[in-house]
Amino acid sequence: MGLVEFIEGPAFWFALAVFVAGALWRFVGIIRIGHKPDLAPPKGSAGWGWIRGNLRHFFPRGLFAERTWMHVLGGYAFHLGLFAVMFFAAPHVDFIRERLIGVGWPALPRWGFIIAAEIAFAGLIVLWVRRFSDPVMRLISDWDDHVGSWLTFLVMLTGCLALERAHVSLRALHMGLVELWLIYFPFSRLMHAFTFMLSRGATGASYGRKGMTL
Amino acid sequence: MLRQWMAGLTFALSVMLSAAFSVAPMVAPAQEANAPGSEAEAPATAPATDKPRPGTLEDILRRQQGLKLDPERLLRRPAPPAPIPLPPQLGTLGRQSDADLWRALKSGAYARPSSDTASGKLMQTAGEEWRRLRREVILKYAPWLPAGVLGLLVLFYLIRGRIRIRGGRSGRTIPRFSMSHRIAHWFLASVFILMAISGLMILIGRPVLLPLLGHEVHSVLLSAALQGHNLFGPVFILALLIAIVRFMRGNFFQWADVKWILRGGGMLGVHAPAHHYNFGEKTWYWIVVFVGLGMAATGLLLEFPWLVETLLYHQLATILHALGAVVMIAVALGHIYIGSIGMEGALDSMLKGEVDENWAREHHDLWYEQVTGKKAVHGGGGDDTPPPAAAAEQT
Repeated sequence: MGLVEFIEGPAFWFALAVFVAGALWRFVGIIRIGHKPDLAPPKGSAGWGWIRGNLRHFFPRGLFAERTWMHVLGGYAFHLGLFAVMFFAAPHVDFIRERLIGVGWPALPRWGFIIAAEIAFAGLIVLWVRRFSDPVMRLISDWDDHVGSWLTFLVMLTGCLALERAHVSLRALHMGLVELWLIYFPFSRLMHAFTFMLSRGATGASYGRKGMTL
Repeated sequence: MLRQWMAGLTFALSVMLSAAFSVAPMVAPAQEANAPGSEAEAPATAPATDKPRPGTLEDILRRQQGLKLDPERLLRRPAPPAPIPLPPQLGTLGRQSDADLWRALKSGAYARPSSDTASGKLMQTAGEEWRRLRREVILKYAPWLPAGVLGLLVLFYLIRGRIRIRGGRSGRTIPRFSMSHRIAHWFLASVFILMAISGLMILIGRPVLLPLLGHEVHSVLLSAALQGHNLFGPVFILALLIAIVRFMRGNFFQWADVKWILRGGGMLGVHAPAHHYNFGEKTWYWIVVFVGLGMAATGLLLEFPWLVETLLYHQLATILHALGAVVMIAVALGHIYIGSIGMEGALDSMLKGEVDENWAREHHDLWYEQVTGKKAVHGGGGDDTPPPAAAAEQT
């Protein structure tokens, strides 16, 4: 078995297993923490607050929107672009259908992929620049944030470099970095892709129960 | 050497001539498709069509003189350029040899195209000049510009060393660049670095990387570089436009810039005055604007070749894109040097958004006076000795 076969075979399955198990472990662990019993009589619905908390955080408040428009825009550009590239790039749809679940869906045309990738790259670069330019962000960022950003960037970059599908080695490089990303994901802040719902929901539920409007 | 520059000159001349007479080839190549070889196939004037045609100089002059234009004539397409008659090809036993045929084609003879989309012009001899200019001049000499600048910077650093803040840091800072300035700067810088690396690999990969890495590795790298370059090109344009808008204020040339030049930017031992941006920074800004936009335009033409049908413009685009790239990379090296290891305190402005007061007073005194309301006091010379005020503050 050559290096390319190894990367595209056993290494991928191992990385995927670590990702699934690790993410489940983290997710269930957070849910199991639970919360202290609130003995005060409820003044509103915690469940409704949970939903409101999740939805309300998608839109910055007016006061903050003025100050943070650039990274809000960068955040949306990166996450939406990444989502489109990850699940609708033609090679990814083929891979998911042939190697993972047996069913596929319509893929983006090449020009659609290019636009989505460029939006994602522009957003990621803006977010990363803000991380080291903003004094507060610089202070609260640690190596985990930078490793997560760079690893995501390299995964996206190598994916795009392999777009021509002319060289197996470029595809293997992309796959290798994807595997590294999958293994790193559950044990880093990249987990916010799943846990953002829990944190926003917890805040919203707490406020909702107290009758506060977000 | 002379031959190479002559090739470049010939190519540039042919581009200019083509641009001057660009109406004819851009109207429709099919118009040129006549006279491939015989009188019967090469009528002196093409049959008129009902499609509208563009105005001629004669029409414009008549319109200016207030004379009436012939509407029927305006609706007809113009007569095609007079074809260079091709000799009848009679083979080696005929009166004229194949060499005459090829010579005529090389001189720009037209032939009847085999389809509506094909051009009647069979040979584009400017392509040969373009190939020679690209391979024998640009690929050979262009990489030396950034390499030379890099060498000069190393030499300058070894001789001059790091430019220190006279009197050291004061500990007090002045805000210089907002968050949006910094994001715009680093956004452009990061995409520029990716574009520069991938672009250089495409430009000089064959003469420089291929002998070092071999065909297999080089082809993989080149494929990756090409994909990356094409992908980041539009992102570069976006970043460029944001930076142009964000940094335009304060970057127009002022009288103080003349003084700055006359005093050698402070290198001649006398203080050179500067507003928020000095002459060097302003020049870099306008290089980014004009060369950057030129790179964007030529890059778009290369990435989307269907935008323009004339081959000569594509050839010109490759030349201008390559020249613009090496100029931008060379100047960017100087910018990076002076903004990082070359000058103490300069990087703070783009990392933290704030600069030390002594740095501001020394390098941007007019801006310092405007922002703080204090008078900037300078030391006697251009050396690193502290000015009286700074020395007093230190003690």
